[in-house]
Amino acid sequence: MINPLLYFLLFLKASLFSTGGLSNLPSLHQDLTGAGWAGESDFGQSVAIGQISPGPNGLWVISLGYLTYGYLGALLALISVVLPPFLVLVFAAIYEQIEHRPRVQGAMHGVSLAVVALTLAACWTILYQPSVDWKGLLIAVGAFGLALSRRVNFLLILALAGLMGYLLYGLG
Amino acid sequence: MKPSISRPGNWQLLRLWTGIGLQSFGGGASTTFLIQRTFIEKHKYLTAEEFTHFWSLCIPTPGINLIAVTILIGRRLGGAWGVLASLTGLLLPSAVITCALAAIFQQIEHLPAVQAVIRGVIPATGALMLLVAFNFAGPILRKSSKEGKLSLLANSAVIALCTLAVILLKLSAIVIVVSAIVVGALCFSPKPVPASQEGERQQ
Repeated sequence: MINPLLYFLLFLKASLFSTGGLSNLPSLHQDLTGAGWAGESDFGQSVAIGQISPGPNGLWVISLGYLTYGYLGALLALISVVLPPFLVLVFAAIYEQIEHRPRVQGAMHGVSLAVVALTLAACWTILYQPSVDWKGLLIAVGAFGLALSRRVNFLLILALAGLMGYLLYGLG
Repeated sequence: MKPSISRPGNWQLLRLWTGIGLQSFGGGASTTFLIQRTFIEKHKYLTAEEFTHFWSLCIPTPGINLIAVTILIGRRLGGAWGVLASLTGLLLPSAVITCALAAIFQQIEHLPAVQAVIRGVIPATGALMLLVAFNFAGPILRKSSKEGKLSLLANSAVIALCTLAVILLKLSAIVIVVSAIVVGALCFSPKPVPASQEGERQQ
């Protein structure tokens, strides 16, 4: 029997001690499987759904909440991931107090370089996986060109990529 | 930092974010791409510099970076109500769709057609992620190239080294960010301009 308060607190703890969308997984995995509230397949399935559904990948926990505890679980999971990011307002306030210092500006510039690097690395992680072969890379090049042109509707780009996937991998 | 050019009302914010929450299939890459396209390029409510700055503040924040950046954008454009409108717009549709997918995924995930379509969409999100990285890098590299070739080279080198460190050495994001903070504070802190120029001239 799931205790709703404890369930919510486990989700909140995982989100609070994570940075980025997927780093809450180990904590949730340990706590929920330990309590017998989630099975192994719930995790793989939820992460996969987070990658294809709209919004941040981190919304995978909503799927985990739904699969383990229905609509209430999904709602509790949603609240647990919305609260911790509000701490950004504290960081912003601190930064505004010290932003005139040269060293702080230099450090912030360093972070912005790291942001570019982490985004490039994320791109690499998406493209360098077993399911992406040379045909997949062709789809990526096509999608890149269409998105860069700014003339094609966003959903149309995804629909075309899905269609190409169906034609290249689904009919063989 | 250049101030943003115009401000939307809170209903307009709700409408724009709902559009992003409904359309951004493909996870975070699609979501970030649509935020950049909507708020920077299409409506010019934010500059690319502001967005990169916001994202830098979100990096040390716990939890999902995209939710933190939504909070910062909402606050900048509409105060507390702007935060509420932005979060509701982004999360209500995407959470409902995520739930719906969770409900039907088990029945459809093994269908070959579904797997083929997903296999096509994933590389496209990789391409979007690359554009997101270019949009982050654009203002940084433009500014540094104005400062001279050495600055452009130094900035590009740090980006390249950090990227390779993540990909090849599998260093965690925290290690990368902390190193970048140290390198930034040591090498990229603005110097008192007149004094250093005087010094260079005398040499």
